[in-house]
Amino acid sequence: MTVAARIFFVGGVTSFRALFYWLTPWIYVPSLLVGPIFQILLFAYIGRSAHLRSDEFYVIGNAIQYAAIPCLFAMSQMIGGERYQGTLSAILVSPAGRIPLFFGRSMPVVVNGAFVAAVALALGCLILDVRLPLSSIAPIALVVLIAAFSCTGLGLINAAISLRLRENAVLTNVIFGFLLIFTGANVPLDSLPGWMSTSAQGMPFTHAIVAARRLADGASLGAVGGLVGAEVLVGLAYGLCGYALLRWFEAQGRRYATLERA
Amino acid sequence: MAVVEAQDLHRTYKTHTGTIRRRVKEIEAVCGVSFGIEKGELFGLLGPNGAGKTTTIKMLITLLIPTSGTGRVLGYDVVKDAREVRKRIGYVFGGERGVYERLSGYDNLRYFAELYGVPSRVQKQRIEELLELVGLKGREQERAEGYSRGMKQRLHVARGLLHDPEVLFLDEPTLGLDPVGARELRATIASLTDAGKTILLTTHYMFEADALCDRIAVIARGKILAEGTPSDLKRGVAQGSIVEVEVYGVADETIESVRGLDGVLAVSVEERDQAQVLVVQTKADVELTHAILGHLNGANVGRISRREPTLEDAYVALVTEE
Amino acid sequence: MRTLRLLGMGWYFQFKMISRSAFEGVGQVIWPLFFATVAFFVFRAGDSPRTLLYASLGAAVMGMWSATSTTAGAAMQRERWFGTLELLVATPPHFSLILLPVTLGMATIGLYCMAATLLWGRFLFGIHVSIVHPLLFGLSILGTVISFGALGFLFAVCFVRFRAAWALGNLFEYPVWLIGGFLVPLALFPDWVHPISWALAPTWGMNAIRESALGGSPLDDLALCLGLGVAYVALGVLVTERVLRAARVRGALSLT
Repeated sequence: MTVAARIFFVGGVTSFRALFYWLTPWIYVPSLLVGPIFQILLFAYIGRSAHLRSDEFYVIGNAIQYAAIPCLFAMSQMIGGERYQGTLSAILVSPAGRIPLFFGRSMPVVVNGAFVAAVALALGCLILDVRLPLSSIAPIALVVLIAAFSCTGLGLINAAISLRLRENAVLTNVIFGFLLIFTGANVPLDSLPGWMSTSAQGMPFTHAIVAARRLADGASLGAVGGLVGAEVLVGLAYGLCGYALLRWFEAQGRRYATLERA
Repeated sequence: MAVVEAQDLHRTYKTHTGTIRRRVKEIEAVCGVSFGIEKGELFGLLGPNGAGKTTTIKMLITLLIPTSGTGRVLGYDVVKDAREVRKRIGYVFGGERGVYERLSGYDNLRYFAELYGVPSRVQKQRIEELLELVGLKGREQERAEGYSRGMKQRLHVARGLLHDPEVLFLDEPTLGLDPVGARELRATIASLTDAGKTILLTTHYMFEADALCDRIAVIARGKILAEGTPSDLKRGVAQGSIVEVEVYGVADETIESVRGLDGVLAVSVEERDQAQVLVVQTKADVELTHAILGHLNGANVGRISRREPTLEDAYVALVTEE
Repeated sequence: MRTLRLLGMGWYFQFKMISRSAFEGVGQVIWPLFFATVAFFVFRAGDSPRTLLYASLGAAVMGMWSATSTTAGAAMQRERWFGTLELLVATPPHFSLILLPVTLGMATIGLYCMAATLLWGRFLFGIHVSIVHPLLFGLSILGTVISFGALGFLFAVCFVRFRAAWALGNLFEYPVWLIGGFLVPLALFPDWVHPISWALAPTWGMNAIRESALGGSPLDDLALCLGLGVAYVALGVLVTERVLRAARVRGALSLT
């Protein structure tokens, strides 16, 4: 048990350094700190222009949805980086429990994603003069963390696919786009066609965004417990699928020597 | 008046290391290079990797500003009259890059022909001629991404000749080419001087410089070590002989002690498969084979031969001297 | 005359090159469509008198800006990566005559984005765009493309020093969408934002396109749009001189 915990934490911390090796401030600040603010402003004003919902609606929706960028890209970078260094197959065949290993490596991605969303939320509220009840701050922070976890799970699948797909950035942008439309970040779920809001239930962020909005309106954490639980399940499901996909690629790779191909 | 003049060119690079404590390191790539090239000459700049050849050439083609010293091409200063220089020179470098992969070879040439101001009525014909010259005829409509390395190199040469420049700068043009391709390219280069062009060629292949160049300057560690015609340079080592000893594993101290022998001019070590070959340059009329073997006592010795020095040996001696 | 020929020829070849990468191209066109979709949904669900037609035109120009901003910033870096930057600098023409066509080519890809957005709006949301002054509409689009290319050129020379030039270029995507008057009327913004919007050619290009589609008078807007474009180029030319000189001193024109 402690071995697994150690793999989880130590591997995780090392991955933090690996993550920030390529994520220089020159990329971080424009892409992860300034970008989300403008997305929030863009949709808040579109909302004002269309007379639909409130600033708060768009601040929460977009702050959480934007976490897709760090979560998806960082995960691809991490897996891709391992493969580039030639260490991916080494990890996959190591005797270490792969589950704590992979989830350990995902940890910095989740934390970073949550941080980006939290900063966006805070700055968005500040700029647009949105007041959140004091008691809701901690529960919202938890929801944000879970949202990041959930999307990182999706990120693992994306990362696995990126091993085979050369132009992965395009796929990641497409996923981001779908999350922008379907999850209710900007378009209220009941304004979407039925099939869209239904499929949204299986996507990261959908439940978290609803939960966060309710918390901001004064609901208690207990009241949104179901939504939070659903989000966690979504994340776990994606994470396990991603892990299974990686293992499948590993098995294929061993048979066809494709895993280390640049 | 020399067509290309380099006068005491210096070039220092600053590199920054570290992110928190930024330290500036200065590297002197070229330290006082001077030479002149006459009209119609094929001048070779010969040296090992990192000698400063590319840096020197880039200063002369206006891509790099010298830290000090002057360069002149056809009388124009390379810094102050860069535009005039650019109109009259062609630049070809070896390597896979420098080609627009998504355009065809033909389009690549058309683009640069426009940039060089080749009159439109002349363009089509000139491009056809050049494609013929470099042997790309028939493949010019294919996208450049499908070209082999050799083909890209030949496209570079065609590009360099589009505006019929008086002076050509060729930076290691045969690097990475297969032997046949390289030979063909050398033949093309030789024919260019026949057409009256002045050429500066950089290379680290001794035999290439020997075969092609009217004059050679040997450059290493940013300095010119020798200059002259190939015969001049050979004469410099004509006295003396070379003793080659095949050994299996020789220690550095042994090499040093051989170097210290009286009558020894230079010692270099070549790796050939499992063995090393100790190449010892000795003064004329000196029999040192026994002495050398004496120092190699204990090591496994294979073949021993004695021969006349070649230009290659002169080059190696110059370049490996401390 | 030769200047125009150089610009035209460069524009043609650069556009040809960019259009040949299918995957990249599709990605470029799809990205703004996501945002257009959200905008259409929001406007449809909202309670505003503003029409979906307004949203459609705005989203179409958003797509055009996207094509430019996400690529132009790294234009010089791209050339360096190809190994062609040195070769281009070593040619006689002024470098701005060589780089401007590159960003113009990138901006022209925006035409694909524009068409895609209008078609998307038409077939998925039933937004029928009828153009009142088609000739002026065409001219407005052309003028907008040129001014986008000019602004992209300015980005390219200003960002070349930064290793993450692409990130900086991307940084300008959202803000121009926000204050260019594409989907949000400028009146909704605080006063201090207005001068910034007015200094942006995209704002005037958008106005010109909208006016010519809806039956107003686009000529003033078009003139301002092109005028600003010329100003960007002039500024860019000055910066180019400094940037190239610095690059030649530092030895940064090639990767090796």
